[in-house]
Amino acid sequence: MTIVHHPSEVTLAAFAAGTLDEGHALVIGTHLFTCPACRSAVRSFEHLRGVALADGEGVALKADALSRALAAIASAEPAPVPPRGGAQAEWAGPLSSYPLGQWRRIGGGVQWRSVGVPAGEGTRVFMLKAAPGTRIPHHAHAGLESTCVLQGAFSHQQGRYGPGDFDEADDTIDHLPVVEDGVECVCLVAVQGQIRFKSWIGRMVQPFVGL
Amino acid sequence: METHALTPALTAVWPRPPLRLLAWEQAVLPAGRVTGWFRTPMLSDRDTDPAQLIAAIATRRDQAAFASLFGFYAPRIKGFLMRTGTAAELAEEIAQEAMLSVWRKAATFDAARASVSTWIYTIARNLRIDRLRHDRGGANADAVYESLRSDESERPDDTLEWAERDDCARRVLRELPDEQVTVVRLSFFEDKAHGEIARLLGIPLGTVKSRLRLAMAKLRARLDELS
Repeated sequence: MTIVHHPSEVTLAAFAAGTLDEGHALVIGTHLFTCPACRSAVRSFEHLRGVALADGEGVALKADALSRALAAIASAEPAPVPPRGGAQAEWAGPLSSYPLGQWRRIGGGVQWRSVGVPAGEGTRVFMLKAAPGTRIPHHAHAGLESTCVLQGAFSHQQGRYGPGDFDEADDTIDHLPVVEDGVECVCLVAVQGQIRFKSWIGRMVQPFVGL
Repeated sequence: METHALTPALTAVWPRPPLRLLAWEQAVLPAGRVTGWFRTPMLSDRDTDPAQLIAAIATRRDQAAFASLFGFYAPRIKGFLMRTGTAAELAEEIAQEAMLSVWRKAATFDAARASVSTWIYTIARNLRIDRLRHDRGGANADAVYESLRSDESERPDDTLEWAERDDCARRVLRELPDEQVTVVRLSFFEDKAHGEIARLLGIPLGTVKSRLRLAMAKLRARLDELS
């Protein structure tokens, strides 16, 4: 699998910092799961934060902090080693931590399913599945929109997006994606919530996401 | 909270401490008092490598090793979290929880993957994410980040010691032009929003974004060369 389209360094750094909202972090994480180059960049940024942690000024804890910690560890069990990758889940990687809804047809050869990311941060996450050859008439974005291709491929003015490819767009970008012939295209999408979506994705899923 | 003396050089706000200083007992200063780096206790033993302290916890539940690590890292976690926008009370709780996790997860620490400081940073980061998501019932941050850990083949070249890598990272930061260091400090080391940075510096949002884009790309490229 050759990944061509990656998140920006600013976005990868925000992932390493833990400052992305949960929906966008899930889409970035899904890309990272398939992209060793971006994982390596995230490790570099984590290392920088680690150096900053060690070099930075400390702030004293309460006077009894250490004695409380020593009391807590006296009864603490070693943590179990967490399972990796969620091999038995439908999708491996970060997606395996989230419940997925049923596929529902939303017209135009497109199906939609919810991804169980709480909407509290104003970002909605879902998966889309489009039949081969599906042409999307208009694609204007409302807020920030992140997409990671899970299967199949689509193309728009910026190139071809296959499995693992990451696409980020905001309201300044107008795309006309077409799903490639051959295989159904499945994408994971995070859209920063607006009162009213303007994008093609938004218009199609609006009835389902309860806005 | 932080003052915004917009010193261009990161070194002015991020001093590099001489390593190893006082005994851990002196970690416990009066509550809430901000210590300078020179007063924040370092690991006590001249030859103590924090990775060995972690190993001592993993292999023989060594409480003295834990106390040393606590003295060094707990105040730094709290300070780091406060610099990145977490309230003091929550920062203190997360620092406590993070150190408890260090104790419980010591056996999973892999010195080939990360330095002790980076490992502890990721523990604190994930705990903070979980605290912020707590009420909404989002996924466990550890599960998401752990699912990205994979094969041994991606381990960085281990001919470089972590201490050398740390020095490289500091040097790479110093190589950035001052105007880029300033936005990197505010954005990446203090987690301020781009709009807030634009207001603080009195420059357009687009300028903040383009400086940050250039700086982070340069950092990544230079750090890639080193690993």
